[in-house]
Amino acid sequence: MKTGFSVFLAALVAFGASWLGLVYGPLQQLGGAKETTVLQSGDKWPAQRTGAATLGLQVYQGNGCAACHTEQVHQTGAANVISITDLGSHKAADLRDFITSLMVVPELMNCSNAVTGNLAGWNGELPKVLYCGAQDTVVSLLGDKLKAVGVKTEPRVIATGADIARGWGTRQSVAADYLYDSPVPLGSLRAGPDLAAIGVRAPDLNWQLEHLYAPRSVVKDSTMPAFRYLFTVQKVGASPAPDALVLPREFAPADGYEVVPTAEARQLAAYLVSLKNNVPLYEAPFTPITAAK
Amino acid sequence: MSDETKPCCSSGNGEPTATRSAAPMWIIVVTLVLLFAGALFLDSHSGWFDKNVYAPYQSATQLESFQPKSGAAAALARGKGVYESVCGICHGSDGLGKPGQAPALAGSEWVTTKGFDRLAHIPLAGVAGAIQVQGKDWNLNMAAMGAALPDDDLAAVLTYIRVSWGNKASAVTGDDIKKIRSEMGKTSSAYSAEQLKAMPE
Amino acid sequence: MNPTENNSICPNVVDASCRVPLLALFGGAALWLVLGLVLGIAAMLSFHKPDLFADCPFLTYGHASAAANDLLLYGFAIPAALGVMLWIFARLSQSPLALPIVPVVAAHLWHVGVLVGTISIFLGNSTGHTWLEYPRGASVLLFAAFMLVAVSCVATMGFRVNRELYPSHWFLFAALLWFGWSYATANLFLIGHHPPRGVVQAVIDWWLTNNLLFVWLALAGVGIAFYLLPKIAGKPLASSGYALFAFLTLVFFGAWVGIPPGAPVPAWLPTVSAFAALLSVGPVVAIAIVTWKTVGGANVSCQGGPFCFIKFGMLSFVVSSLLYLGEFCPHYSCVVGLTWFNAGVTQWQLLGFAGMILCGGIYEILPRVMNRELPFAKLARVNFFLFAGGTLLFVIPLLIGGVEQGWKLSDAAVPFADTGAVALKFLRISTTGQLLVLIGALCLLLNILVMTIQWKLGLVKGAIAAVTAPLTTSEVKS
Repeated sequence: MKTGFSVFLAALVAFGASWLGLVYGPLQQLGGAKETTVLQSGDKWPAQRTGAATLGLQVYQGNGCAACHTEQVHQTGAANVISITDLGSHKAADLRDFITSLMVVPELMNCSNAVTGNLAGWNGELPKVLYCGAQDTVVSLLGDKLKAVGVKTEPRVIATGADIARGWGTRQSVAADYLYDSPVPLGSLRAGPDLAAIGVRAPDLNWQLEHLYAPRSVVKDSTMPAFRYLFTVQKVGASPAPDALVLPREFAPADGYEVVPTAEARQLAAYLVSLKNNVPLYEAPFTPITAAK
Repeated sequence: MSDETKPCCSSGNGEPTATRSAAPMWIIVVTLVLLFAGALFLDSHSGWFDKNVYAPYQSATQLESFQPKSGAAAALARGKGVYESVCGICHGSDGLGKPGQAPALAGSEWVTTKGFDRLAHIPLAGVAGAIQVQGKDWNLNMAAMGAALPDDDLAAVLTYIRVSWGNKASAVTGDDIKKIRSEMGKTSSAYSAEQLKAMPE
Repeated sequence: MNPTENNSICPNVVDASCRVPLLALFGGAALWLVLGLVLGIAAMLSFHKPDLFADCPFLTYGHASAAANDLLLYGFAIPAALGVMLWIFARLSQSPLALPIVPVVAAHLWHVGVLVGTISIFLGNSTGHTWLEYPRGASVLLFAAFMLVAVSCVATMGFRVNRELYPSHWFLFAALLWFGWSYATANLFLIGHHPPRGVVQAVIDWWLTNNLLFVWLALAGVGIAFYLLPKIAGKPLASSGYALFAFLTLVFFGAWVGIPPGAPVPAWLPTVSAFAALLSVGPVVAIAIVTWKTVGGANVSCQGGPFCFIKFGMLSFVVSSLLYLGEFCPHYSCVVGLTWFNAGVTQWQLLGFAGMILCGGIYEILPRVMNRELPFAKLARVNFFLFAGGTLLFVIPLLIGGVEQGWKLSDAAVPFADTGAVALKFLRISTTGQLLVLIGALCLLLNILVMTIQWKLGLVKGAIAAVTAPLTTSEVKS
């Protein structure tokens, strides 16, 4: 590098390349994203937040909640699962022998160890997981062969990973989940649990408010700081306020006083309750389990 | 410069110089090897810049192999989709019906029958005249909302209403609907409650 | 003064031309360093005693840690680096600083910007983007101030007597460009009027974080070290070939690192970053080789002087950069991702690498520029041991705690409360390290403050002396 101009040129090209790759590229690919549809359903995703929840996102960001909490579920794998749900007219032992005999089929030979291992010691209790692995062809083949003899099976797709096993979500977070967030509070430290699907785990607004006022009253070993300044402790009037918090004695205020959430606390709680990711998408598929309640 | 105490020195005042040397070859070779290894990694893990491929999925074909294809849950999702767009407008997303529009399906004895033959006739031909549902009298007309639906979709929506909102009844398959349709033939004027009650469940 | 008339401008003249800008930059930087460390300790107190700030919205962890981190980078590291760069450009050009009033104005603009930004964070007006929390007004001030200093640096470089560029020129000139381009881009996209929707904001934020904390700090810190190490050691810089390789690979590959594995973005983004991280090991190794060869065999004992600071800083660069690049390998990030490990690496980069090199630079440069000895030279040596010991005590428990936390997080059978509890033990040691670093920072601040006061007193005394001096006969009106 003999001249200032050559240094400038090298820096410009290097910076420009990185800008093209990591700023312009993602902007083109993801910047114009629109709503997507839930897998095998007509529902739109993500659902628009209510006004209170949208304001709650600003409260979340203004208080720096993202410094301790993440909002991104990670997934380390996926599996195609097939389980037996109805034995039909067969006995468990006969069925086990039948399935073992199927394992000589060329497409099923790779998974024969896994399947026979799953069936070892099976006494007929249902549902019984036959195979849990990567091959969708195995699942459909086993399903067809068992249907032909009158056995009901259920194929499913599940997401696997430590976050999923902890119950922090049923699938990983993807770009579509954050379409309406600005800025996106992804977080970078899990000093507290992940909140991407907290609205599924703790959908009760009151629980959220109590947790914000006195975390240790609802989660025993919590290290979360109390956010008492989001609440007002006021004298009980003629009758208790309808939204006064119900707290255990050691966290409750003095007699004759009640704890009432401020607007900010209510917005934050509404935002937290709106955080869900329990719908399957094309880029994050899984089989949801329940029908409408 | 009024507080200068040191005398001015001559040139060659100790600015550092750099030893000239060519770029070392071994490090360039190592970098090229790393470039190659990294390109292999990029090939296998990047999903080739597909915006739908998220780690741990490694390619679009692999992602496709994990899409739920069939099974009760998928049919249920499909049934829900059809329900919301076709039936839910009158019968309600919560299955509780709307007064003056349609009776509730949740807990309805017409829905939770052991068989599904009678039930399937209702969307295929419609209902006219007085009918009693869960002790309430209704006297509206239901159009043949399911006549235009394909067999699988109608089966899915019937399955959906038979297992939702606390209902517990068996599923309906597309083949069943096909059979019922062929038995019904072309006659498709709306049924009355008496005609429905006369049918086998 | 036309530099081409006199080929050998006296270094004292060059040094003296930098005096006021450097004092303005260094003084503010030291103050922000102390404040940043105090806030950092206050932030960590939230973990040791969670209900300490329950009724005080200002000092919650979210506010205090964001403010502390930004103060360390924008308040301390960047202005201190700019000050050292101004001096290095002037010295390498063997010409006094061009447009000396410009960096003085810029320094004040910069410090006002940092003040406004910090107050905004405490008032809850943070933008929500990590490392970019200052709102638009403050960002504009910082950008303008940086550009002004850059103009002065580049003008000085243009006046250089010896037209051939020294390796530090490449690194430092690129650093001047790099901050301006990255900071402007990130602000325009993220804090402008039409930010992109959704997760693209996070991608740009990660890109900026990498460009500032890895690429920019490396360019500035290594450029400074490549000037000061040979100067203090009295040997030439070893091997410009390795240095050129390091510069080119750092800017070409280093800028693509930054997207963490497992992020909720399409797989190609973290994969590209992992690829770039692998390639970025090359420049780190090359810089290590150059440093080793330059320092090895030098007959200089440092005893806590600037040479020690810079050697420690370069060692920290190698270790912290390798740890940083390791975070982008999917195998390791399964364990260390989203844990205290990341915080530890960042603090090692900021304090262990940038902080040490800049402190060493300040202690080396300030006596020359002010033309007087440090008022508390012994404290300056103690400063080294406090910084070195304190930084290690601060970051190493964070790294170990992060790994422990990560192991527990990746095992779903471990209840979440245990993952936090295992890290808490290490956080206690870590906060002690922070205290040591804070005491060291106070030594730095004391030195700079007293030196400034002594200089100003000297100016006042000189002015009074000039006024009250007996008149020479030639001046008396006849």
